[in-house]
Amino acid sequence: MEFIVTGNAVRDLRAAKGLSQAQLAVAMGVSRQTINSVETGRYIPSLALAVALARYFGSTVEEVFDVQER
Amino acid sequence: MSRSARHAVAYWSLPALSIVAGLGYLVAAGIGGHPWLGAVMLGVMVLFAGAVLAGGRYSETVRGLLDRRDERIVSIDAQAAAVTGQVLLTVLVVAAVVEFARGHSGAPYSWLAVIGTLTYVGAVVLGRARR
Repeated sequence: MEFIVTGNAVRDLRAAKGLSQAQLAVAMGVSRQTINSVETGRYIPSLALAVALARYFGSTVEEVFDVQER
Repeated sequence: MSRSARHAVAYWSLPALSIVAGLGYLVAAGIGGHPWLGAVMLGVMVLFAGAVLAGGRYSETVRGLLDRRDERIVSIDAQAAAVTGQVLLTVLVVAAVVEFARGHSGAPYSWLAVIGTLTYVGAVVLGRARR
């Protein structure tokens, strides 16, 4: 069984909270570039960062990240 | 050691190592009878350390490479190090083969390639044992 991340709702969730990428980056302890790369799907975050993002937005990882079976 | 202390140590380690290497060059060049060359190399290393620290103020990438806080930058760094190692090992093997073909022993390329290969195998064995 193999899963791939096909998208995420980080940009929408961040915008809904009225946060800039820089503010979210500070909250997550990563760079603004990393938040941007996650939002655009160029970088798949580690499990720790994915969980941190999900908890920050009061969601689950699967609500934040679209995961599909290949 | 706390997480922030580890990041602080990591942040200063590259500039500090650069200056230590520069001092090593200075001492070695002095022993070899070329103190001015050593002074120039120390100056270059001090400039490099300063440039890295200055770059860290303006560039998230340089800052991430220094403090190792950002997982994406750390993974990019690991990938870049792997590519660098592969290129260096390839160059060493090719250089050793050329030296063999010229009737020489292949040194120092051959034993550098052996060190590289053994380091890789050792790292794989250690990594396998730990995860």
